[in-house]
This record gives sequence, C-alpha cells and structure tokens, in this order.
Amino acid sequence: MAKKNYNTIEDFLSDESFNNWAKANRLTDVDFWDEWIAYNPNKKDLVYEAKDIILGVQFKLNEPSKEKINSEWALLENKIKANNLEVQKKQSPSYFKLIGIAASILLLISVGLYTFNGNPEKITYKTAYGEVLNLKLMDGSLVTLNANSSIYYYKNDNRKVWLTGEAFFQVDKKTTTNAKFWVVTDDLNVEVYGTSFNVDTKHQKTAVFLEEGSIWLELKNGTTQKMTPGNFISYSSVNNLITEQKEKVDSRFKTSWKDGSIIFEKLPLVEAIQKIQDTYGLTAIFKDETCKTKLITGGIPITNLSICIKAIEKSANVKITKLKNQLIIQKK
Amino acid sequence: MKNLSDEYVWKALKEGDLNAFSILYKTYYPMLYNYGLKISRKVPLTEDTLQDFFLYVYEHRENLSDLDSIAPYLFSSYRRHLIKTLKKKSKIVSFDEMDVKVIDIQFTPEEILTHQESETFKNKNITVLLNKLPKRQKEAIYLKYYSGLNTNDIASIMEVNYQSAANTIHKAIKNLREEVSILQLINS
Repeated sequence: MAKKNYNTIEDFLSDESFNNWAKANRLTDVDFWDEWIAYNPNKKDLVYEAKDIILGVQFKLNEPSKEKINSEWALLENKIKANNLEVQKKQSPSYFKLIGIAASILLLISVGLYTFNGNPEKITYKTAYGEVLNLKLMDGSLVTLNANSSIYYYKNDNRKVWLTGEAFFQVDKKTTTNAKFWVVTDDLNVEVYGTSFNVDTKHQKTAVFLEEGSIWLELKNGTTQKMTPGNFISYSSVNNLITEQKEKVDSRFKTSWKDGSIIFEKLPLVEAIQKIQDTYGLTAIFKDETCKTKLITGGIPITNLSICIKAIEKSANVKITKLKNQLIIQKK
Repeated sequence: MKNLSDEYVWKALKEGDLNAFSILYKTYYPMLYNYGLKISRKVPLTEDTLQDFFLYVYEHRENLSDLDSIAPYLFSSYRRHLIKTLKKKSKIVSFDEMDVKVIDIQFTPEEILTHQESETFKNKNITVLLNKLPKRQKEAIYLKYYSGLNTNDIASIMEVNYQSAANTIHKAIKNLREEVSILQLINS
C-alpha cells in the first residue's frame, strides 16, 4: 500500500493498489484511496486523470465471428499446403520421400494434439527463477505466476488450470453461467466462483490463502473444506496431513510476492532463507547455527538477488557470500 | 514483462510449425481486421489484404527476426502492406496522399459503449471529442483501448520510445477530460 510520495501521474499509474482503487477492485484499497484523496485535495486532478487513463474509453468491438476466422484460416492453410507441395515437387525424389515420411509423422502428432473440431490445445506458461509473470487467461481471470512455477490449461476447458509452484489468482465471476473455476494441484483441487487467492505447491504440499470471496477445497483424501477470507490452509497428500491452518492471516505476508517483494515479520532467518532459495533457485549453508534463529522483519525484492542479499544482511546483521549457486551465511 | 507465449509461438513459426501459425493467426486476426477496417474502411479489401499479408509472413518466416512481442511487428507490417495496396489499387486521391506512418482514425458513436466505467467518457459528445484529437493521440487511444495493446507495444508500432508513447496517451486523456469539463460548464 501507499508508502511513497505521489507526485507525478506515473507514481499513481505504477501503483497496484491505486489501480485496484480505480477499477473498484479490492475493498481495502478502495477505502485507503478514498481517504487518501480526502487528505490530499490538491492531488485530486492528478488522481482522476490517472483513473481515466486506467479505465480508458470502452469500445464495442466489431470483431469477426469465430466461424469467419476459422473459415478464413482454412482457406489460408490450403493455400500454404498447396504452395508447399509445389516446392516439394521441384526437389529431388529421395528428398521428397523423406519429407513425405516426416510430414506423415507430423500429421500423426498433430492429430494427437488436435482433434478436428474441438482442438484441445494445451496452453502452458512457465517462469524461471527470479522471474514473475502476469497472465490473463482466456476467460479473463488474472494470474500472477511466481518464480520457478508453471501453469497449464486446455483451450476447450479454460476454467480448469493445473499448477506447480506458486500463483495468485483473481478469478472473474461468471454471473450469467455460474461457471466454476478450478485450480488443480498434486494435493488438492480448489473450487472457485469469483475471488482472489494464493496457491503455493512448493515442498510437497499445497498451501492456499484466500484474500477475498469464498472457495472450496477438495483434498486428495476426499474431504472438502470451505475457506473464508483471511484463512490459510496447508495440506500434503504425501502424508495426508493438514500441516498448517490459520483463521486470520494478514494478506501482505502471503501475497506481497506478486507486487515484487516478500514481506517478513519476525521470521527466523532459516525460514526466510528457504523462501529465497525457492525464489532464486539457490542452496544455502549456515556456517554458524546461531544465525538460523535470528529474527528478521522487512521486505525483500524477488527479482533482484543482489539487493535481496544486501537487505537480509542488514536486517539480520549477518554476512552472506554467494558462491555460484550457493549462499554462505555467517556471523558478521 | 516478457511474454513467454509470444516468444514461443514466434520461434515455432520460424521453424515452420503450422499449428503455431494457426494460433498466431487466430489470436491476431480480429485485432488486425479491425485495424485494417479503420484504415481502409472496406470489408473485402481488408479481408483480402489480411490473407495476402499472413501468407507473406508464413512464406518469409525464415527471414523474420527474433521478437519478444509479436503485436508491434504484425501491426506495422500489415499497415504498410495495406496502405501500399490501397495506393496501388485505388484511384481515390485521398488514399494517394496517405502517409504510411501517420494514420487518421475516425471513431463512430456506435463503437463507444453506452456504459462507460469513467464519468468523463459518459459524455454524449465523446465521439466528437475523440475525433478532434490530434492524429497521433487518436492512434494511441485506438491501440490502447480498442486493440488492448500495452504501452511497450504501442511505442514500437508508433516508432517512438516508451515514455513518448505513454505521454501521448496521457495527453489524449488530459485533453478529453478538459474538453468534457468545458462542455459541462457551458451546459450548466
């Protein structure tokens, strides 16, 4: 939330909480900004200009129908294939034969991926270490994919997604059809109507944090569980155990990563380092055991390792050396 | 933020993957169709030039350079292709004078949704005000809110840097806000 000065239009536009206010998205942000504007009447013009830029003009799109696009594509595809054949005929016979075999193999593969009318194409997104990706799914839902994570879905059933790693979801409510949205992990399925929540599948468990709305969890052991805002549940199907459950968790600690930082409050250094290992794909060695229990408080960036290391060093008063993919932590 | 799927689709297309090309085609066809229609104002011509253009892209795939984001390439190349065709085919003088780089987009009242989230754009004269904006600002508004492109892509299409594209959008919105408040003053 607002912690800096807002002087130029860019300051507002680049602020996620401000964007939430402009779109009337998240209640906490809406309250915050309504109050902020009341206290800063001199910024009112700038604020509303920024709001207009975010909302923009809404156009009625005169888009060609799906059938039209498909038939146009069919025409083009035929043309391409006809052109290819001509090119192949000009080449030497043995080469042509080879292409023929390759083409038939290709055809077999593509039939596997593509049925003739339904084409259940699989769409996959993946992030590397130290990378965060903002996605908009076909149904309009927004997903922020954390580092070293992946998500996929099939085009013909685009409200069911498979997740490994960590992601934050803002699911669009389909009021007309009441269609559900599903997140599937190794441990559980999350059943959603329209809401925002975080799912984290690292370390052989799935942890779900609900920010807004309501969701149902369908654990792999067959039981179901309803969640209300602020709830946090961590479940592992490996030993069929709920490993952690909290009634009320401050959303900053569970979802701040999507705004570019991880926030710690009095967290033992060893746990904080684990998060950094997950984010940047590193291993860590503690030279002094006493360092592990030091408590740290503050935020660290998730896409800039050198600043992240410096922030931890300062907050925990330790020395961290990076050797290739290893962090060595010792007393100062 | 890097668009992973764009990069992947583009790479696959360069390797001749027809499935990847089909994804690309179906994703960008609606946007380019509307863009073409805005420039040429003719349905058959827009459809024909789009087919020719996509065929050209596929046949020249091996010469295409690597791209992080596909939209800017498709928008500028298609625009160039369309305007060239217009100049060749048409005897109408106005197309002859058409600049490949600056296009003059006209909005119609039917295109503006009656339900606008922002109070500013609810004004019933908004189409007139939009059309009164300088050409570059109109194009930026079109690309951002009509085609739904991000500022980075808009900057590449308009061949300016990011900041300048952002400024053009901001200026357009500022102008519209001012015009709307003047109208409100006059009417009150």
